[in-house]
Amino acid sequence: MQKLGDFKLPHFFNYPPYFTLQPVKETREKQIQLWKELILDYCRTQKIFVIKLEEEFPLFSNSVIERTLSHEAREAFLSALVAEGRSEWLDKGRRSCLILWHRIQDWADIIVNFVKDNGFEDSVMTVEEIRSGIESRGTELHGIDRTILMRALKLLEQKGKLAIFKGTSTDDEGIKFSV
Amino acid sequence: MGNLLAKKPKITEVDRAILSLKTQRRKLGQYQQQLEAVIEAEKQAAKDLIRENRKDRALLALKKKKAQEDLLKQVDTWLINVEQQSEINIDDFQKLMDDTEEAKAYQDEINAILGEKLSAEDEEEILAEFEDLETQMAVQDMPEVPTRAESEEQKLNLPDVPTKKPVAADAARDDAEIASEDISTKRRVMEEPLPA
Repeated sequence: MQKLGDFKLPHFFNYPPYFTLQPVKETREKQIQLWKELILDYCRTQKIFVIKLEEEFPLFSNSVIERTLSHEAREAFLSALVAEGRSEWLDKGRRSCLILWHRIQDWADIIVNFVKDNGFEDSVMTVEEIRSGIESRGTELHGIDRTILMRALKLLEQKGKLAIFKGTSTDDEGIKFSV
Repeated sequence: MGNLLAKKPKITEVDRAILSLKTQRRKLGQYQQQLEAVIEAEKQAAKDLIRENRKDRALLALKKKKAQEDLLKQVDTWLINVEQQSEINIDDFQKLMDDTEEAKAYQDEINAILGEKLSAEDEEEILAEFEDLETQMAVQDMPEVPTRAESEEQKLNLPDVPTKKPVAADAARDDAEIASEDISTKRRVMEEPLPA
């Protein structure tokens, strides 16, 4: 089985027809399903949050079988993820895609658990600390995409679980928890 | 919490103070990393210049390295202080912010001094370090330049957090621009990693 680093690629990845967007509806649907799962799995294990369609992305080509996904195919697979709520286009031109291998709500739950596990209720943290501080090392939050993090935090703010604030203009953004 | 109008927590002055402190800590930590990278680059530059037999420029690189190391010590002191602020009160915080103002002035002072001639003592120390470096290179070792003993008082003097990254490439380029026969000591020996 072929591997990308530590990641085990599924069998279909080595089968040329899968790199061509299938014309027959039923076949295409199956194809899309497989690719959706592969993209999500890969991004989850590699902690990838954004895919840029026009750039080199390891899943988009297989040099062993000499195949590369066309732009149309890439857009089709990612659009399918968007339709499922597992992805969002970051620009109108559909060149960049945010991958939600955890949904925003999932991330919100992860944050709440993180706060409870570490006893951070009623305390103040900076957004950067959540992303890259010592406390978040080893957790899923470490290295999280900033856009996704802010969305999850805003969701929690609406629910009254925290407040986002700034002191002076040079401060990082702060979070006061009340979970 | 079944409350439909869930209210988010109120932000107090203490919260804002903590936020400022944490921001400072992060920036200082970053700055420290950048300084370490610059120090390594300066050290390497000095070794390369010795190889090319350019004593005067190697000396300059070592002076820069020394300045960076001193700054790093200041940052470390500040970081330790920041981290120990577990229970902050407003007065303490105000004092820290005042000290930052002081540190800003101190930093400007440093920049001015570095542009001038170093004291005889400093020159001696640097030359000793330099000779040591030469000796170590002669035996094909990876030199560890000796740090000098702490002679300065440990004031809570804080360097201003830079808004621009110090760039090692600038150091090399500055070196290249200095004429080998006339190193004016009035010229700024340290490029500006720390705009006031």
